[in-house]
Amino acid sequence: MSESINQAPVKVAVRNLTKKFGDLLVLDNMTFDIHRNEFVCVVGPTGCGKTTFLNCLTRIHEPTEGDLYIDGVPADPRKHNISFVFQEPSAMPWLNVQDNIAYGLRIKRLPQAEIDRRVNQILDLMGLQDSRRKYPGELSVSAAQRVIIGRSFAMQPDLLLMDEPYGQMDVKMRFYLEDEVIRLWRELKSTVVFITHNIEEAVYLAQRVIILSNKPANIKETLTIDLPHPRSVSDPRFIEYRNYITDKIKWW
Amino acid sequence: MTDKAKRQRIRKILYWGLPVLAILTVVLAWVLFSASHPELMPGPVAVWNRLLRTFTKPIGRINLLGHAWASLKRVLSALVFAWAFGISFGILIGWNRTARAIFGSIFEVIRPIPPIAWIPLIIMWFGIGETAKVLIVFIGTFVPLVINTSTGIRAVDEINIHVGQVFGGSRFQILTQIVIPTALPHIFAGIRTSVSSGWTTVLAAEMLGATAGLGSMVTKGWNGGDMALVLVAVITIAVVGFILSTLLSKLEKVVCPWNN
Repeated sequence: MSESINQAPVKVAVRNLTKKFGDLLVLDNMTFDIHRNEFVCVVGPTGCGKTTFLNCLTRIHEPTEGDLYIDGVPADPRKHNISFVFQEPSAMPWLNVQDNIAYGLRIKRLPQAEIDRRVNQILDLMGLQDSRRKYPGELSVSAAQRVIIGRSFAMQPDLLLMDEPYGQMDVKMRFYLEDEVIRLWRELKSTVVFITHNIEEAVYLAQRVIILSNKPANIKETLTIDLPHPRSVSDPRFIEYRNYITDKIKWW
Repeated sequence: MTDKAKRQRIRKILYWGLPVLAILTVVLAWVLFSASHPELMPGPVAVWNRLLRTFTKPIGRINLLGHAWASLKRVLSALVFAWAFGISFGILIGWNRTARAIFGSIFEVIRPIPPIAWIPLIIMWFGIGETAKVLIVFIGTFVPLVINTSTGIRAVDEINIHVGQVFGGSRFQILTQIVIPTALPHIFAGIRTSVSSGWTTVLAAEMLGATAGLGSMVTKGWNGGDMALVLVAVITIAVVGFILSTLLSKLEKVVCPWNN
C-alpha cells in the first residue's frame, strides 16, 4: 500500500520535530506535511507520545528541536487559528452551552454578529439548540463532549487537533460522533488531525493514517485510506486496511 | 396511592416537620427552664416585653433597629474594604508565584491570630472610635477572603488553562476569563465566611466600648443585670445573621448559577 499524492497545498509542515523531557526522548525527528482540508489520523501504541506530539503542535509544549509551520510561518496560537479537542472533558463549567461555543471566538474578538451566526450554526449542527442555555454540569457526557467539539469547529480553525475525543464514550455514541465529525469537516472544510489508539476508528475516519512507532515516537508509515465516505466496517477492503495497520503496530 | 408514593409523602412531611419540631422543643425547654429559674433566665413573654420597651424607652436614645443598624453599618463598611483588598490579594498570591513567595509566609503567620487579639493594639493606635471598630472587623473578614480566593485560584483545572492557550488567549485573558470564573464558587465561600465572621467580630468590638450597636446592648444588659435585654440583643443578632446568610445564598445563585 502506498501514499497517494495530495494535490491540495500544504497547510501544516512539520520539520524535524523533536521533544525531550530531560533525558527522555519522546518525539524523535518527525517530518511530514498535512494538506489543506485533509483528515489525518495518528495511531500508535499506547504511551508512544501521541499526546506530547499534539501538545507540541499547539505550543502547550515548546519543541526541543525542529518546528511546525502553518501556511509557511512558525505556528503560533496568537496568529493562527488552532483548535484542540482534549481527551478529558474541558468545557468551561461556568459558561452555558452557547457561551462555551462562543468562548474561543470571543478571545479572538470576532464581531458579535459573526459570533452569533457561528454559534447558531454549530448549535444546529450539533443538535444542541434545545440545551443552549444549559450548563455543562447539566448535560450528559456525550452532550458535553459535543459542546467541546462544537467549540472547536466554531473557530473554523486552520488546524483542528483532536486527542482521542471519543475515548470515554460507549460504542453507539462513538459511531454517531464519528459520522458527525466527518460531516462537520466536510461542511466547514477544516484540516483535521485526529489522534486515536482505536485502529478501526482511524480507518473509518481518515483520508490518511500516520502510524507512529513506539517511544521515542517516529513516523513508521503514512498510509492513504482510499475508500469513499461513509465507510462500512464490514467492507473487505476496510478490514484489509485495519489488519494492515494492526500488524504494523503489533510488530514495531 | 402506591406504597412508594406513600413512603415519599411521609418522608416529605417528616423533613418539613422535624425542623419545626426542633424549634418548638427549644422554645418549650426555654419556657420550662425560665418558669422554674426566673432569676437565671427570663421567659419568652418577659423578653418580648423588653423588646417592645426598647422602642418606647430607647437605650442611649437609640431604639433596637438603630442599634442593629449601627452594628450592620460597621460590618458593611469593613466588608467593602475586605472584599476589595482580600479578593485582589487572594488573586495575587494565588496566581503569581513571586507574590506568593513574598507575602504568603507573612500571611500564614498572621492568619491564625484571632481578630479579637488585635483589639488592645488597635485601641492604642486608633482610640475607641469608629475607625478602630471597622478596622477590627476588617481584620476578621480579610483573612477568610484571602484564604478562599487564593485556594480557588490555585484549584483551577490545568486543562481549562490549556484551552485558553490553544485559542491564543493572553495571560491576562486566561486570568480574567478562565481562572477567576473557576475560583468564583471558592471566592463566594470566602464572602459567606467573611460576612459571618464580620458579624461576630463586630459584637466583640462593640462589647469593649461603644454607645451604639448590638454588642453595646449586650454589655449594657449584662452590667445592669438585665438578662431580658441581653436576650433581646442575642435574638436580634441571630435574626440579622440569618437574614444575611439567606441573602447571600440567593446572591450566590445569581452569581454562580452553574454551581447549583
